[in-house]
Amino acid sequence: MANLSEKSVDELRELLDEYGIKHGPIVDSTRSLYEKKLREAMANAKKRSPDKTFYREEVEEEITYVARTPVRGMLAADSGAYMRSKPERTGDYHHVASYSNYSSSPPDLRGAEYDKASYSNYSSSPPDLSGGEYDKPYTYSTPTTYRSSYLNSTPVTSEDIKSSPAPPAPKSSGLVPPWIQVVFFLVLLIFLYIVFSSMESNEPIKGIA
Amino acid sequence: MEKLFDCLTCQSLTAAMSSTSQKHRNFVAEPMGDKLVTALAGIGDTLGQRLEDKGFDKAYVVLGQYLVLKKDEELFHDWLKDACGANAKQRKDCSNCLKEWCDAFL
Repeated sequence: MANLSEKSVDELRELLDEYGIKHGPIVDSTRSLYEKKLREAMANAKKRSPDKTFYREEVEEEITYVARTPVRGMLAADSGAYMRSKPERTGDYHHVASYSNYSSSPPDLRGAEYDKASYSNYSSSPPDLSGGEYDKPYTYSTPTTYRSSYLNSTPVTSEDIKSSPAPPAPKSSGLVPPWIQVVFFLVLLIFLYIVFSSMESNEPIKGIA
Repeated sequence: MEKLFDCLTCQSLTAAMSSTSQKHRNFVAEPMGDKLVTALAGIGDTLGQRLEDKGFDKAYVVLGQYLVLKKDEELFHDWLKDACGANAKQRKDCSNCLKEWCDAFL
């Protein structure tokens, strides 16, 4: 990155407009302020751009998986992570499209070494499994031929392994089922009504007195 | 005479609001002339000294900076924080003071 203090006033002004920083004339007393703002904007832009898509995809993926867990509930958690990786290839889930966008972002996740390391713990099965076959119990054999073909056909699923440490349970961090919220709200309403009506009438209600 | 009346009504109005300090009211009541930078609301002795060390020894120089920053509150706050380490309240007081002065006299 070129030294900001060596840039001309016009160049600085262009940079400020590029980052959308509101500014006035660049004079002696304001120059250092604008240089500081530019440095912060550059640092923010660099920090946020590679992570942004990553996080968005992870969140998307988690949410759709949570919605489907009850349907496929018969498998254990450790094979569940493997199972989660399957939807990408079958096309059952709508967020496959989102992963096709993701596949254009950092290529390090497609590295063969990473895939091998993560999949060595998982059993593999024939890559042509359709959605219906999930109900069959998995056998934990590890045929090497399947592993390599599986690796080739699912470059994006390594991303799932990263998200699999996140709890696959329905109540993941921050997600409370809506019906519980509704129940709480109703209880609160009833309580408030009791308080209100006891204030209105002179006789206290039995439950409160 | 008119000016005195305006001045009095202005002071009474602001006194009624009672959300501004006496320093603010004093500053906004008349053209700043050669007042020191410590006459600005929010700028006390410590901050005033730091500003003077940077060459901002008079209130009108700080006014100049405020104007060159196009009277933008956020930019002015950022500059003031860097220039003398003012906290949020001091910055707000100073920018409000200058804003009102500009509204009245600029």
